[in-house]
Amino acid sequence: MRERLTTIRHLRLVSANLVIVLTAIVSGCASHPQSQQPGVAAEEDFHDPLENVNRKIFDFNQVVDRHVLVPAAKAYRAALPERVRDSVHDFLNNLQEPLIFANATLQGRFDYARDSAVRFVLNSTVGVGGLVDVVGRWGGIPYRENDLGITFGVWGIPEGPYLVIPVLGPSDPRDISGLAIEAFGDPWNRIVSGQPWNYYWIPYVRGAVSGIDQRSRYLETLADIERTSLDYYATIRSLYRQRRAALVRGEHGNLPPNPGFTQNVPAAPASSVASTRSPDVVSALQDGAGVSGQ
Amino acid sequence: MKRILFLIAAFVLALGILLPARPVAAADPAAVITSLGNEALKVLGKNVDPDVRVARFRQLFQQNFNVPGIARFVLGRYWRLATPTQQQEFIRFFTDYIALVYANQLAEYNGETLRVTGTRPAPDGALVSSEIIRTDGKPPARVDWLLTPQSGGYKISDVIVEGISMAVTQRSEFASVIQRDGGQVQGLITALRQKTESTGAH
Repeated sequence: MRERLTTIRHLRLVSANLVIVLTAIVSGCASHPQSQQPGVAAEEDFHDPLENVNRKIFDFNQVVDRHVLVPAAKAYRAALPERVRDSVHDFLNNLQEPLIFANATLQGRFDYARDSAVRFVLNSTVGVGGLVDVVGRWGGIPYRENDLGITFGVWGIPEGPYLVIPVLGPSDPRDISGLAIEAFGDPWNRIVSGQPWNYYWIPYVRGAVSGIDQRSRYLETLADIERTSLDYYATIRSLYRQRRAALVRGEHGNLPPNPGFTQNVPAAPASSVASTRSPDVVSALQDGAGVSGQ
Repeated sequence: MKRILFLIAAFVLALGILLPARPVAAADPAAVITSLGNEALKVLGKNVDPDVRVARFRQLFQQNFNVPGIARFVLGRYWRLATPTQQQEFIRFFTDYIALVYANQLAEYNGETLRVTGTRPAPDGALVSSEIIRTDGKPPARVDWLLTPQSGGYKISDVIVEGISMAVTQRSEFASVIQRDGGQVQGLITALRQKTESTGAH
């Protein structure tokens, strides 16, 4: 579910240049639309006009996942004790905070921006350069993922058609654009790969470690979902869409390394429930209520 | 004497019909979730045999969830296209399937407790927010439950985890399966049966 997306998110650094090339390829595919199943697809609209291409890329990604990511994640888990892996995770999260702060500010979510700033300052100092998430663990302010794709969503830019990007996985034009821009805008990558260091390889290592870290935290969950799904592709597509919609609505939260549950923002007042839910969840609520009375 | 016995029998019978109709806790959505959640975490934990866990989950699901309503929702527009026999078949295999999927995902839990954090009105029902308190010091997991009134109590119509509706996810997946099978509901029913049989949900 989201872990896959997070994996993707953190692989961004490896793929800074790759993304542009691949987006171009995928857009190229878009200009030769696949013929859809007539009549049927129009009624249950998945916003997935490129489904045939997407499914092929998805299958390819599954092969990469099975033969590269999963073995690497398992080895990582076996080689290092949990405490060390938690520190790596906290350190990588801390590196994200400047971009999270920027995005929360751009979204007008100043409470999240403040939380991010507090986390970054204290975790970088008291938390030994971010190795220990002291603020999350003892300060009660959890890590809240955020990115430019979410910012675009808050600004009202539609997600567009569903896309599966090679290696990176589920996305859409809005999210992949945000990803590409952030890859260039990331302050750490600019610093280490610029003058005077020119360590151009560091962002790639960071991306690889992030991907392995994320994948290692969701080995069981993803295996479970794949094993029990009737249509793994459709399940992932739905989970990605709903999760991104929730993040755009401001339902941020960190995802603990267990069956996909997380802490979340405080309950909204009753009157705003309907308006803060995405249209499909609202219809779910209404449909669910509608059928129950019978 | 006979008359008195008859009266007593009639009274007992009447009592028997009237009393169990309205379970006490069921009137309060929050209480429904508190008791169900804690029971589920207790009986579905890590040390339970997988087959037993699936059977227990199936029972809890049938007792506490609005199964016919959820089945209709997840089948979407295809519910109307299905024959009554197919609808019944679908409900049966869907129940097996849900037990298989979610019993597995709960297998990781061990010693956690569930705490209701709030209740909000939802269209024709209530949305109950809860936290699952972990034993390992990790942040609590947040789960929302959509409850709808039914036969004097409440039944669960959806579970929303981190903004992700389980019912919407299921509906999307099922619609995809049906469409890829040329719009035939029977294809989905067969796939559900095969999945539950091959992975041993019975």
